Amino acid sequence: MDTNGKYFRKFVERNQKYYVEQNEKAKEKQHAKGKLTARERIELLFDENTFEEIDAFVMPASVDFGKVKQEYGDGVIIGHGKISGRLAYVYSQDFSIMGGSLGSVHAEKIVKVQDLALKTGAPIIGIIDSGGARIQAGIASLAGYAKIFYRNVRSSGVIPQISVIMGPAAGGAVYSPALTDFIFMTNKTSYMFLTGPNVVKEVLNEEVTFDELGGAEAHSKKSGVAQMIYDDEENTLLGVRKLLAYFPSNNLENPPFIESQDPPDRIEERLRDIVPDDPNKPYDVKEIIKLIVDNQRFYETSENYAQSLVVGFARLNGKTIGVIANQPKILAGTLDIDSSMKGARFVRYCDAFNIPLLVLEDVPGFLPGIDQEHNGIIKHGAKLLYAFCEATVPKITVILRKSYGGAYIVMNSKNVGGDFNFAWPTAEIAVMGPEGAVAVLYRKELEEAEDPVKFKKQYAAKYRDEIANPYIADEKGFIDEVIDPAVTRKKLITAFEALENKHLQIPERKHGNIPL
Amino acid sequence: MKMKFSKGEKNGAMKYIAYGSGKKKHEITFHQEKGIKIDKHQADIEIVKDGGLFFLKWNNKRYTAEIVDKNQNKYTLLVNGVSYDYSIETPTSYKRKKYLEKNEPKTKIQEVSAPMPGKIIEVLAEENESIKEGDPLFILEAMKMQNEIISHINGKVTKINVKPNESVEKGAILVEIE
Amino acid sequence: MKIKSLLIANRGEIAVRIINTAKKLAIKTYVIKTAKEPKAMYLEMADEIIDFSESIEDIPEFLDIERIINAAKEKNIDAIHPGYGFLAESPYFAQRCQEVNIIYIGPSADAIYKMGNKTIAKQIAIKHKIPLIQGSDGNVSSFKRAMVIARNIGYPVILKAASGGGGRGMRIVEKPKEMEKNYKLATTEAQKAFNDASVFIEKYIKNPRHIEFQIIADKHGNIVHLGERECSIQRKHQKLIEESPSPALDNKLRKEMGEDAIRIAKAVKYYSAGTVEFLLDSDNKYYFMEMNTRIQVEHPVTEAVTGVDLIELMIKVAEEEKLPFTQKDVKLKGWAIEYRINAEDVQSGFTPNQGILERFCYPNGKTTRIDTGVSDGAAITPYFDSMIAKLIVTGQTREKAITNSLTALNKIRIQGLKTTIPFHKAVLNTKSFREGDLSTSFIDTEMTKLFHQEPGEEEMAAFIAAFDYLLEVQSDEEAVVDYEKGKNLTPWLLNKRLKSL
Repeated sequence: MDTNGKYFRKFVERNQKYYVEQNEKAKEKQHAKGKLTARERIELLFDENTFEEIDAFVMPASVDFGKVKQEYGDGVIIGHGKISGRLAYVYSQDFSIMGGSLGSVHAEKIVKVQDLALKTGAPIIGIIDSGGARIQAGIASLAGYAKIFYRNVRSSGVIPQISVIMGPAAGGAVYSPALTDFIFMTNKTSYMFLTGPNVVKEVLNEEVTFDELGGAEAHSKKSGVAQMIYDDEENTLLGVRKLLAYFPSNNLENPPFIESQDPPDRIEERLRDIVPDDPNKPYDVKEIIKLIVDNQRFYETSENYAQSLVVGFARLNGKTIGVIANQPKILAGTLDIDSSMKGARFVRYCDAFNIPLLVLEDVPGFLPGIDQEHNGIIKHGAKLLYAFCEATVPKITVILRKSYGGAYIVMNSKNVGGDFNFAWPTAEIAVMGPEGAVAVLYRKELEEAEDPVKFKKQYAAKYRDEIANPYIADEKGFIDEVIDPAVTRKKLITAFEALENKHLQIPERKHGNIPL
Repeated sequence: MKMKFSKGEKNGAMKYIAYGSGKKKHEITFHQEKGIKIDKHQADIEIVKDGGLFFLKWNNKRYTAEIVDKNQNKYTLLVNGVSYDYSIETPTSYKRKKYLEKNEPKTKIQEVSAPMPGKIIEVLAEENESIKEGDPLFILEAMKMQNEIISHINGKVTKINVKPNESVEKGAILVEIE
Repeated sequence: MKIKSLLIANRGEIAVRIINTAKKLAIKTYVIKTAKEPKAMYLEMADEIIDFSESIEDIPEFLDIERIINAAKEKNIDAIHPGYGFLAESPYFAQRCQEVNIIYIGPSADAIYKMGNKTIAKQIAIKHKIPLIQGSDGNVSSFKRAMVIARNIGYPVILKAASGGGGRGMRIVEKPKEMEKNYKLATTEAQKAFNDASVFIEKYIKNPRHIEFQIIADKHGNIVHLGERECSIQRKHQKLIEESPSPALDNKLRKEMGEDAIRIAKAVKYYSAGTVEFLLDSDNKYYFMEMNTRIQVEHPVTEAVTGVDLIELMIKVAEEEKLPFTQKDVKLKGWAIEYRINAEDVQSGFTPNQGILERFCYPNGKTTRIDTGVSDGAAITPYFDSMIAKLIVTGQTREKAITNSLTALNKIRIQGLKTTIPFHKAVLNTKSFREGDLSTSFIDTEMTKLFHQEPGEEEMAAFIAAFDYLLEVQSDEEAVVDYEKGKNLTPWLLNKRLKSL
């Protein structure tokens, strides 16, 4: 073909219009608001020069009501590329074109890429930056959303789905992210809500800004809807890349492996010093996690929400594990409604994608109080219990300190399916905490005692020593071994290796009925 | 020390802007061949890392540095015992930060947090009360001393989060002032 | 009688200090172990440990008089040294020791009691014609009473706890309308800290200098002073920097104040080590404040300029020996400055910085002395004070001492905690400090910035942060993610998985 002839020239001109002109306009509009363009985000997300775009030149559908601008792409860029060398699909909404609003062609593009991802068993990432349904498109726009949500659910637990909110996501549009596995948000320039501040003002006469109502901080701290937030878009996309490196491409595969120089038999004496001898003194469980995993790298999710439970991903000897740990320095590590839900969801992702679970336990129980009871701690706590019972991935628990009553059972105890259960010498495993137990068992003696406070302290110490120690549980087989904290890493790596080929038959049913 | 960059690299150099409290900023450029530049000047730095401590020599002065805290790209460091807070930005994310700063809404809710863990002995302010800079808001007992927590701005108390005899953690938000 | 065994009823750097001297004198040392710091440095240095880890009582270990006395009796220990703080100024403790025939390394219970009660101490000073600050006659029972007295002596006034010091239970009142609030604050704090809400009131002297005299006396009536210390660099009445001698005193003033210090010690038949505190105003008039009937934190600066070992002298005095020197033998040579290195965050208003002292290296030379009770890996807890170490630097002149101090401070390497070192550097770089122009309001009036920043620190901080970030991004980029391993499932697993999905 003559590269100067009319055929090739037309090809080049069309590319110029889209890739250069439209692109420049997009950059102007987005950069002025401190945001990146849809294309720039894709470039940051994927490995260099691996992105292939699909349906670049589609035009918006004609509408019965109002006008639509004739611009290529209809406000969303779709395609596939490699992330850290692995195939992944993406759709990235373009706010510079009709506010990134969803018209029927826009929706069809997203549906196309969702189908491709599901067909090929590859992860899909959605970068949301959209004003929502395109009013001019009418019901076709709503139908478009419905098709997207349907596919989110069909793919749920089959391929990893990640939503990255980098702009508005309002009204019905928030459902797609809500159905996906992870939601990332960028501080200050993204927001999610079902009903916006204008309607809130009209109906309830409450004044609130976009950021206060549904910004990244609100969703990270208060609602727990966003698991990861970052201050800027580059770091957000880097975070997505980091997260994906822990996940397999689909539910048939095992998670990927990153060779680590961190020796698998590393002895860590610092671990003996972190848990204080005084059972009422708090400590930071993240210090323990960092000392056990490869290279001190722990990817924490939902960091600002339900902080009494810490969840996240890490590697042991190169292999991905999901970590769940009680955090004694927040609320004394008790489980409450929010942390039960956070934990339950996390356990279920890991189970869906064959990621083994490590539980680090130091929990005195569930948070008491009218507030918790009336808001349903019973059913929410049950969610965490259900998730652990249901999970068939390798599950290992290490009891660091307290483990009382119902919380002992829930946190992956042996009889709910813990494959290996270890305990540190500081572990206290009992039906109730020592002070509570003494109050019940010695009620009469306490009433008659001269110095009840001293009596309680003495007997609590005795209880702690004789009944709540881990050796009794060890002797009865509820704990597999009491271990020296310094060798925890070595023990865990060997234990997980032994469980590599674990498989459990799941009962045949459509699906269980987890208390929602 | 071999430096190899891939993403974000321009002309074989990686440029970062360390943005600190009080709008301080320093430009640090890492170049494949030309080495390190600080604020556009070539910098010859000797670094020795020993456990968690960095021993640095620059312009014939010695420094001891330690990374105390790190969250994503936000760092708290100690250099010679003095702490510094910086977030590491790329030129793009720095521009974004500046843009957002300019457009920050004017009425911000200021929070006063507990400087250390302790017990609230007395609550001296009331909701909806107008207060001035220097007005005492709480008495916090910590480390066997009674400390007055004072306001550093003028404004109106919108929300008091604590009651007398309540124990608080360091950083707990005690009151919101508009 | 010779002391062959000694129980140190204290912890941290002073316990280490006392053990060091006891070792020199071939005395067997006993210390008390608590559950709060089971691995403390002083435990490793002592000859024998008495374990108080099982604490059922609510009384803190170092305040549990009966338990300590019983432990000493059980082990047949000759003597007890209380150090400073804790039971060091408890007349009851000194008395109990005497009752069970244990030698108490300190003054008599009577002297402790009299000087420990501010009102009684004041009355003794008046009787012996020692200059005093005007104030209430005894405790003030209500804020209204306080206002009456204040009106007489003139504002500003200061409310002080009758039974203790160290800044607790103290409140300055500038105007009558602030009296009620401050009276309430002072009495509540005093009650909490000393179990006694009584406060008295005094005229408040603006910008005074804090001058104290070290007294050492034997049981044969010989009392000598070892010169003065200036401790004007204080924050909220807690001393941070002390020096000996004071740039404000000449020989004449030293002689006058020293004689008054000795006179008041004599009035309570004092023996052992003690410190008489004065305030010196800008007209070189001095006023007696109080006498501390114990060894003090800042005693090393006196040791540095006089060459004595105060702990050794205390032990010898307790053994009924006579002081080996007289007043005319006492000469102050050179200059010494002590810096208290505490685990405090100066930039956030000196808030305590608790955590683990990961690494602590310090210089040791002719002009530097470090007194510490912690080593690498020690935990600084909220149960005890936040002191890491005391740095004592000497020099032939004050200027030399200051120069040596800056060098020494720069050589200290601490990892894991923030300390007051940047504060000390800032003081040393302040002109009025270098000129010896000190007062207790120095920090508020003379310092524009409370911490010193060397030039280039900012850039180095920025550089290290950027460098670390770059390394992390690079290592993430370079990490080879191996997907094949995840795709190669064993037949067992693959089969089972396919069947169940």
